[in-house]
Amino acid sequence: MDFTFDDGQAAVRELAEQIFQGRATVERVKAVEAGEDRFDRELWVDLAKAELLGLCLPEAYGGSGLGLVELCLVLEQQGRVVAPVPVLATVTAAMAVAEFGTDDQQAEWLPRVARGDAVLTSALEPTADPSRLISVPWAHVADRVLVPVGGELHLLDPNGPGVRSERAIATDRSVVSHLTIDGAPTERLPGSSVQWLRDRMLVGQAATQVGVAEAALEMTATYTSNRRQFEKPLSTFQGVALKAGDAYIATEAMRVTMWQAAWRLASGLDAADAVLVAKWWAADGGQRVVHITQHLHGGMGADIDYPVHRYFLWGKQLSDSLGGASPTLARLGRVIAGATA
Amino acid sequence: MDFDDTPEEAAFRAEALAWLEAHAAPRDLDTTRPSMGGFGDEYVRQCQQWQRTLYDGGWAGITWPKEYGGRGGTGRQAGIFSQEQAKFDVSNGVFAVGIGMVGPTLMAHATDAQKERYLGPMLRGEEIWCQLFSEPGAGSDLAGLSTKAVRDGDEWLVNGQKVWTSGAQHSTFGILMTRTDPDAPKHEGITYFVVDMATPGIDVRPLRQITGVAHFNEVFLTDVRVPNDNVVGEPNGGWRVAVTTMAHERALIGGGVGLGFRDVLRLARSCGRTDDGRVRQALATAYGRFEVLKFLGYRVQTAASQGRPPGPESSVMKLAYSQHLAALADLVLSLEGAAGMLNGDDAPDAGQWQQHFLNQWSSRIGGGTDQIQRNVIGERVLGLPREPRVDKDVPFRAIPG
Ligand SMILES: Cc1cc2nc3c(=O)[nH]c(=O)nc-3n(C[C@H](O)[C@H](O)[C@H](O)COP(=O)(O)OP(=O)(O)OC[C@H]3O[C@@H](n4cnc5c(N)ncnc54)[C@H](O)[C@@H]3O)c2cc1C
Repeated sequence: MDFTFDDGQAAVRELAEQIFQGRATVERVKAVEAGEDRFDRELWVDLAKAELLGLCLPEAYGGSGLGLVELCLVLEQQGRVVAPVPVLATVTAAMAVAEFGTDDQQAEWLPRVARGDAVLTSALEPTADPSRLISVPWAHVADRVLVPVGGELHLLDPNGPGVRSERAIATDRSVVSHLTIDGAPTERLPGSSVQWLRDRMLVGQAATQVGVAEAALEMTATYTSNRRQFEKPLSTFQGVALKAGDAYIATEAMRVTMWQAAWRLASGLDAADAVLVAKWWAADGGQRVVHITQHLHGGMGADIDYPVHRYFLWGKQLSDSLGGASPTLARLGRVIAGATA
Repeated sequence: MDFDDTPEEAAFRAEALAWLEAHAAPRDLDTTRPSMGGFGDEYVRQCQQWQRTLYDGGWAGITWPKEYGGRGGTGRQAGIFSQEQAKFDVSNGVFAVGIGMVGPTLMAHATDAQKERYLGPMLRGEEIWCQLFSEPGAGSDLAGLSTKAVRDGDEWLVNGQKVWTSGAQHSTFGILMTRTDPDAPKHEGITYFVVDMATPGIDVRPLRQITGVAHFNEVFLTDVRVPNDNVVGEPNGGWRVAVTTMAHERALIGGGVGLGFRDVLRLARSCGRTDDGRVRQALATAYGRFEVLKFLGYRVQTAASQGRPPGPESSVMKLAYSQHLAALADLVLSLEGAAGMLNGDDAPDAGQWQQHFLNQWSSRIGGGTDQIQRNVIGERVLGLPREPRVDKDVPFRAIPG
């Protein structure tokens, strides 16, 4: 066992940190949020140039041939600055294409993803009606959406015939789309599995959530150490310090369960329970952390000129998308205790 | 002890309901637009209209004495009325500060002339009030405020800044806390004023909030002249007056109505979730909390009916309420599944539940945070020693900034 990252992984993290910290400043995030698409295309180009979008794609198609652990290192850095770019959606969908796609499909999409010329996404929110896909993240700027058909994934052109798309705004202020499909042509990813992609999405979300939680908590530590009430820094009141401590414990629990799941998936090991444990911590722990960090900012947290509220909103979004804490717990129960009820 | 309506209370409830049915439309989650926790012009106008209707019908200020235009009724009656009113599509939310907090404060501390001037228009919904207490440097530690007022003949000259002032942009008057004796210990050098918001030198700047609306403001005060007649209580005796205001604020927030269990159950049913064992447990837990709040509310109403001002029990209630709201927000959004992650008009029920989520945390902050309520309970109910304080008996001036 070894809980440390190798040199290559450390370099990926450092590079991602440098780009996200340098580019996704509070001002920039705010400006993008005010735009129509809420997509930081300049940052997207920078990520592509730094070869971070092709990180986990095969070298034959312009990628670096790394895996999910490296992607999670990037996503953690993205979560730290709540940057509005579709890294998770695009890269996990591209990984599915790389894993299951035909040579033609790979040749068509993977180089474009690596160059930052294509946005991919997937429609994995459960829906009662398969012709109506709800809350698909980034579909408004996507070139292809992976949609579940049976247990498999198909490529769908969201701008093609037979697809009607309505935009909506989500809790984290991103744009999502509801897609209504009526006779649209799709292209099968042969032998693909919805579950395969969902697992990677969940772990990627958990990695993003770790970034959100740790940055929100650092912001809170700084804020409560500098703000004085009753002639003392707020952080010296146990009512504040103990809550921050609880948030720290939850963040570390999120971190270790996320790495466990990422490592197992990346190593090709069975990860059914590990993924759900990570998702549960990301959902329940993540939500607790952002309630605490928001609360410890007092009235300051309500003012949207101050950035902490975005962490609150992202934390909630990451917590409740693709199933929140309670459905996750039910699924985990079935995995570890066997399906009965 | 009796938790049920007495025959007189039941008669009062029936009378109230009949009157409400004749004057207001029922509240319906399918059609009623949420107020979005904001103070839009249209919302303000509706509140004013409703308050006037209440007044004309004899239902405004149920616990207020008749001499001030009230009904002279009991706290229990006020509770019954607000329970019944919650079933209708009406609000008088913009008067929370005025009627809920300033009115009772003026009755307890103001001169006859002040009561005469302010209480009537307040109750009729003609004048809206705001609370100019918090400052950038004085939130939980309100007594650390530094907005200065200096006596100048028959007037006071006020300079400083307030923040998070709800509804200031619509208000005719504000209640204003100022530092008037920097040589006294911090609680003893504060004066409480009524200030006309149209006075030159007052600059109100809206702050856009997480809910997407501008409900509160920054208020800058530059050489604002306030007549000496506007002092409430004694000069440098403002803290005592503010304590009354804050006690009523707690009772008001803790007694908040908003979403009822009925609404939550309806949502669970419409999402088809009521057969799920986990959902049923969560609903049952929420139901239990609704019940606790109802009974805590009865206790506060009983105290009020016996003429006792709100005490530490309103801290218990505010704390229970704000924690309940937070848990409820997580529950309702999880009931909705993916749709719970949509905002505004894109969300189910015109975004009511999402707004509830975006608002809930602020009830844990405004009116004294959860931690401050716990301190009140520790010190005043349990009799625990106070947190060690370095600032109690030293002159305000001597406290390092
Ligand atoms: C929606 C909203 C509306 C408001 N409307 C008004 C208004 O109309 N008028 C007005 O005057 N004010 C208003 N306020 C301001 C409100 O009263 C203050 O925000 C509140 O008193 C807390 O002060 P603060 O924001 O400075 O937080 P701080 O006091 O800085 O507190 C920050 C955090 O530290 C914690 N903390 C502080 N002291 C202690 C302690 N001793 N022990 C343990 N923990 C502690 C708090 O619980 C909080 O979590 C409003 C606030 C909100 C959110």
